[in-house]
Amino acid sequence: MSTQVHANLTPEQVRQISGDLEEPEWMLETRLEALEALEELDMPDVIRTPGRNWTNLHGLDFESLVDPLNAAEEKDQVGPDDVDVLPWAEALDEHEDLVREHFGSIVDPQENYLTALSTALFSTGTVIYVPEGVDAEDVTIRTEMHSRSLFNYTLVVTEDSSSVTILERQSTGTELDEEQYYSGIVEIAAGENSYVQYGSLQNLSEESYCFSAKRGETDTYATINWIEGNIGTKLTKTETSTLLSGDSSETQIVGAFFGHDDQHFDIDAKVWHRAEHTTADLVTRGVTDDTARSVYEGVQDVGRDAWDTSSYQRENTLMLSDESEADASPKLIINNHDTEASHSATVGQIDAEDLLYMTSRGVSPRLARNMLVEGFFVPVLEEVAVDELREDLEDLIQARLE
Amino acid sequence: MSSEQDHLKDTDTEARFEFKKEERSAVKSGKGLTEEVVNLISDDKDEPDWMRERRLRALRQYHAMPLPTDWPGQPDLTELDIEEIVPYIRPDVDKREGVDDWDELPDDIKDTFEQLGIPEAERKALSGVGAQYESEVVYQNMQEQWEEKGVIFMNMDQAVKEHPEIVKEHFMTTCVPPSDNKFAALHGAVWSGGSFVYVPEDVTVEMPVQAYFRMNSEGMGQFEHTLIVAEPGSEVHYIEGCSAPKYGKHNLHSGGVEVFVKEGAHVQYSTVQNWSKNTYNLNTKRAIVEADGTMEWVSGSMGSKATMLYPCSILKGRGATDTHITIAFAGEGQNIDTGAKVYHNAPDTKSTIESKSISKDGGRTNYRGLVHIADGAENSSTAVECDALMFDNESTSDTMPYMEIEESKVDVAHEATVGKIGDEDIFYLQSRGLDDDDAKKMIVAGFIEPITEELPIEYAVELNRLIELEMEGSLG
Repeated sequence: MSTQVHANLTPEQVRQISGDLEEPEWMLETRLEALEALEELDMPDVIRTPGRNWTNLHGLDFESLVDPLNAAEEKDQVGPDDVDVLPWAEALDEHEDLVREHFGSIVDPQENYLTALSTALFSTGTVIYVPEGVDAEDVTIRTEMHSRSLFNYTLVVTEDSSSVTILERQSTGTELDEEQYYSGIVEIAAGENSYVQYGSLQNLSEESYCFSAKRGETDTYATINWIEGNIGTKLTKTETSTLLSGDSSETQIVGAFFGHDDQHFDIDAKVWHRAEHTTADLVTRGVTDDTARSVYEGVQDVGRDAWDTSSYQRENTLMLSDESEADASPKLIINNHDTEASHSATVGQIDAEDLLYMTSRGVSPRLARNMLVEGFFVPVLEEVAVDELREDLEDLIQARLE
Repeated sequence: MSSEQDHLKDTDTEARFEFKKEERSAVKSGKGLTEEVVNLISDDKDEPDWMRERRLRALRQYHAMPLPTDWPGQPDLTELDIEEIVPYIRPDVDKREGVDDWDELPDDIKDTFEQLGIPEAERKALSGVGAQYESEVVYQNMQEQWEEKGVIFMNMDQAVKEHPEIVKEHFMTTCVPPSDNKFAALHGAVWSGGSFVYVPEDVTVEMPVQAYFRMNSEGMGQFEHTLIVAEPGSEVHYIEGCSAPKYGKHNLHSGGVEVFVKEGAHVQYSTVQNWSKNTYNLNTKRAIVEADGTMEWVSGSMGSKATMLYPCSILKGRGATDTHITIAFAGEGQNIDTGAKVYHNAPDTKSTIESKSISKDGGRTNYRGLVHIADGAENSSTAVECDALMFDNESTSDTMPYMEIEESKVDVAHEATVGKIGDEDIFYLQSRGLDDDDAKKMIVAGFIEPITEELPIEYAVELNRLIELEMEGSLG
């Protein structure tokens, strides 16, 4: 059962988007196929328990949210000289073979309705190519959204023994009277012994919806570390995941979210162990206030051939109000016995004793609460290896508390 | 070690469970699920109209509901053809309501239970025993001392006639309505046998009561219903055991258990399930716990081809408590999908879930759990701990907990670990002179100890023995 949004989407629109970007024929074909597949595809999986979908994507009116030919944004795509940080059109010009090899190889364009929609309609994108042996810091992508809908695509390819740190931020520039929709797909192909750190900070307006799929695949000895901050939107459905395909590869997914008012975050962190001696560490902390709702799904999937796996997951939710809701489902799927895996999840409120301790020392209840919330995020912030991102995240958390 | 333990340890457990007897049936329904079959069961039991109506309504609900097919990682039910299952076999015994003397049973049935060790256990440690063979309870006894205090322990069919007011109120109404799931509906339509336990206010039944369920016929379904009503301040421990020999065709066990724990009452429900490895074990077990009541579920799931079972407690009154202790062992060809559900619907409620699983030789275990804390269930707390032990690389172990938290003043914690048997541990034990097998057995025994120590000694010994046999691969 898919939402029949494609009624007002046409191949001509897709041709126009592709034409404006001067794309080669194969890319246009990929887009047209994705458009055609919409009819058959379902929404991304969400957690269900009997009688209940934890996130209702079918409730969104994509027909009116999606306005493919009027995308508008402001974008910074900058990086050091020895790394290629290219807008989509330029990347196709300079690295067509590279793009052709990797585009859609990690996130299948037809995986679900929303990935297909994104593939058919994306009009802005970035390709980051890090040549062999290059150590690059500070690649920055800043996307400011000015239109009803915006579809963004990011591809990162690192060659052997290279390293890169990428910071991506999404925010709303022009707030429209109507609801807005942002969709972003990120694919990372991490070459042998390369190191990728990908930080993302979503701070879109609270009248917008966001779908994002960020997925990386590791070669031997490669590392992909994700930092995932979610602050904005009315509803976010996001998956951050790593496919550990190379022996001795590693991944870390560090997440933080803070929901207030009637925000809804559906956050997935997933790792697939598919090679030997792989390691994963998933750490997420989130706060819900007012009537906000969080849904967390963490999956550690250990395949039959993934010998000597280490896999850890922690998720903690702090609830600041009685009206908020927090759902959590940390899943372990283990098919190889040579595994050390654990997960833990907690949900709770601010510790009354801590609060009493602080107020008894003259701190006002409001300030005490805020300090405890900030303290709650510390273990996650400590894991954020990128100073700039950590500071931004701290500022946003603080701003939310005021 | 006591002589009791020796006795049980020395018993050849494999022979105890795997023997088969000639089928003996006075009345046997046709296959499949039709109104005729349901009416035949109801007629044969000479049931009041209200129960017949409930059965027929459940049958309609059964036909309207889909099979669970798309849960993540659920057991494959495609080989289960319910239309081929014989839902009702009444054994040809003289007394319909069951006898209270083992010697009055036909020799082969008596032998069956002798071999299973039930009369022996009754003499030594139990307040009462019910023994079900195929679809009906053939033996039922309760010690006089409890009967004098008003404790009722009888088979469910009898209870429909003798205590209609209690049964009418509680039977598949608020606790497990047939609309709950397809197998609950199936159960509601063709249920037969099972136990009715009623404990009056402030009465403590100090020794456990036990029911044992035995399937002996090929391709049959067993659908016993257990209804326990524990009045305020009362206390009872109910144990069920079950087994069936293995046949070529699939058997289906789809029991229904409803427990009413009134204010301040305490019920422990223990199960050691050892169905044969061609049995689908698809049950619905649920308790409603009033204020300050305590419900304890202790389950050992050893047998069956596939099990889907998530005993559930609804903590309805302030201060209600739930404890789940479960152990699952899946060997070759087995898929044990089991866990726990707890609904915290009142303030100050508390639950703890401790789940252990072992998978071996391609077996598959899954912990599937749901903890729901409703808005307003202030100061509720829950702690879930799942540990999985894997023997080899053909096996699978999944942990799928779901937590739905609608209230902020709560304390929710979930933890899970998966690991293999530690090489170092084995090495340590070997260096002390144990061989590899004994070392593994010892590690497993230690792993499951939190479960076995909750069970009466007979059951604990038996569980240990079953696990040992599983590890030797000697159980069919």
